[in-house]
Amino acid sequence: MTALAASGDLAGPANRAWRARPGLMVIGALLFCAIVYLGPLLSLIGWAFRDPKTGWSLLQLYRVATDDAYHLAFLVTFRIAAVSTLICVLIGYPYAYLMATSGPRLATLLAAAVMIPFWSSVLARSLAWMILLGRKGVINEWLIATGLIERPLALLFNSIGVQIGMVHVLLPFMVLPIWAVMARLDARLPRAARSLGASPTQAFLHVTLPLSLPGLAAGATLVFMFAIGFYVTPALLGGPDDLTIASLIEMEVRDLLDWPFGAMLSLALLALVGAIFAVGAVFAGARRLAGMEGR
Amino acid sequence: MTDRSGPSRRAMLLSGASLTIASPFVHLGAARADNREIVVASWGGSRTTAMREVMFAPFEQATGIRVRDDGPPEAAKVKAMVESGNVTWDILDTDIPAILAMVNAKLLEPIDYAKIDKAKLARIPSVLHHPYGLGHLIYSFNIVYNTKTFPNGTQPKTWAEVWDGVRFKGARCFPFRGGLSPQLEFAAIADGVSVDKVYPLDIERAWSSMDRLRPLVTKWYATHAEAIQLLSSGEIDICCTIGPRGLVAKKEGAPIDVEFAGGKLAPDNWAIVKGARNTEAIYQFLNFVIDGKVQAELAKRIPYGPSSQDAFAHLSEAESRQLNTSPENLAKQFWTDIEWWGKVAENGKTNNENQIERYARWMVKRA
Repeated sequence: MTALAASGDLAGPANRAWRARPGLMVIGALLFCAIVYLGPLLSLIGWAFRDPKTGWSLLQLYRVATDDAYHLAFLVTFRIAAVSTLICVLIGYPYAYLMATSGPRLATLLAAAVMIPFWSSVLARSLAWMILLGRKGVINEWLIATGLIERPLALLFNSIGVQIGMVHVLLPFMVLPIWAVMARLDARLPRAARSLGASPTQAFLHVTLPLSLPGLAAGATLVFMFAIGFYVTPALLGGPDDLTIASLIEMEVRDLLDWPFGAMLSLALLALVGAIFAVGAVFAGARRLAGMEGR
Repeated sequence: MTDRSGPSRRAMLLSGASLTIASPFVHLGAARADNREIVVASWGGSRTTAMREVMFAPFEQATGIRVRDDGPPEAAKVKAMVESGNVTWDILDTDIPAILAMVNAKLLEPIDYAKIDKAKLARIPSVLHHPYGLGHLIYSFNIVYNTKTFPNGTQPKTWAEVWDGVRFKGARCFPFRGGLSPQLEFAAIADGVSVDKVYPLDIERAWSSMDRLRPLVTKWYATHAEAIQLLSSGEIDICCTIGPRGLVAKKEGAPIDVEFAGGKLAPDNWAIVKGARNTEAIYQFLNFVIDGKVQAELAKRIPYGPSSQDAFAHLSEAESRQLNTSPENLAKQFWTDIEWWGKVAENGKTNNENQIERYARWMVKRA
């Protein structure tokens, strides 16, 4: 904006308009969002509440509210997402800390290690895990060959398989926001704490950790949101107890052609995620959850 | 329930619901060129390649009518087309569950059997003359097994044996999701119902039999390709899946074989999309492709049963043995009762839809 202001006399009145209302510049982006996000969302609401006979109806809402099978599927979905988020925090935070505090070479290597799997498709990665984790997969064959176990471990078609597959996909979304915050953190602050007599643990707990919380909150929000909508990974690596709501929405929309109910299930999921975000926002602050704090 | 060859099904899994929800707003298909062209929606991969070779290309040569292929012929896509009034497909190659769902949603034209060649039709079992679909390529759910686990004919040969985890050890896989109805017929038969009395299905008896199957099943698979992969790698020993798919894998050297006894036969059908315009060309096409010789040529390329019994006059004995509709194999299996699955229950939904929903409920609630 300063460059614009400096050249204002040369560029004439058009430029002055931009300078006066920088908001004009986001109109394109707003329009895009309205068309790509708001339009389909409104259409979804239409599907969920429309009725061919009576015009509008709460029938689909009633079905979602009263069918305990779907409640269970929502619970399963949230359980899987919560566990994934927790595991991602436990792995991602120390990883990002290491990335932020190590030299440029190691940092690049660590960043690459977390990013490279990110470039291959989720489906391919899930299939690769099936080969690795199976009863006759690489890991079990190796463990049996070394004599560590006698019978193959059940790593596939249960929640262990689902979590391994999901954490593998989701980890970058945890590491990157934390790293982004930590990398900007003034390295002199923990050192100042040390010079004032704090132990390394105390310096971390009272200085580094609180300052990196915005990144952690942003990462956890991202990971949880993505995990809620996960579909391919639980379907391929999971068992009957890992049936997510996304699978059921797919069934309603694609197989049973019950679009009104599918739309209502989608809206219910959206509302539940929104509610969780709202509760989080009350406690942690919306700006922090959205990763906008600390800039 | 159809057997979806090729990668398109997998790719669809990824895009899944989002695509179908968005599809009313996005017109993907090209507009129709002229009335000397028909568009056939099939499943892609080796199936469409073989159809092009033995059906589409010879038909184009014989009639001068161009055949364009597209797909996959998913019900949700047809729905989007018909409801937007922009129908770009004429003929679908799909299975009965999809057809029933589409009939319920009023997306199909009935087949005018007066326009079908009488002599050719007579050679196709009458069970396959559905008002909205003419059966042409037969798939079957069979006991497909790993030959390393069960060498020399030691495999389970009845559904009761598949249900018997003591005498027949090994991991099972059964289909779930992807529009697949629960295998209630097999559950009833395993529980002692005789094959000729399977229909009308005793639903409650079948589900309590499913309860006993549940602990034996290691994986409830969503795509048939997945099932074959699990069998090939030895991850699973016994699978209830599409027999012809097992035979394709066997041909490629996988340690897999198919037990035809007790299998459930079902057709993939030619169906006509509501609003399809070029009626005359459509029936010309149908009469061309239900010919026994044309079907035999297709069966040589993909091991699915031809619906016309004429086809076996053009096939060797060895070729016939591997096909689920050869007279010998036909006698060991039974036909899916299309009418039962399509019957509309009190809640306005078909048995098929209700049982698919119950399947999900059963899976989630374990009861």
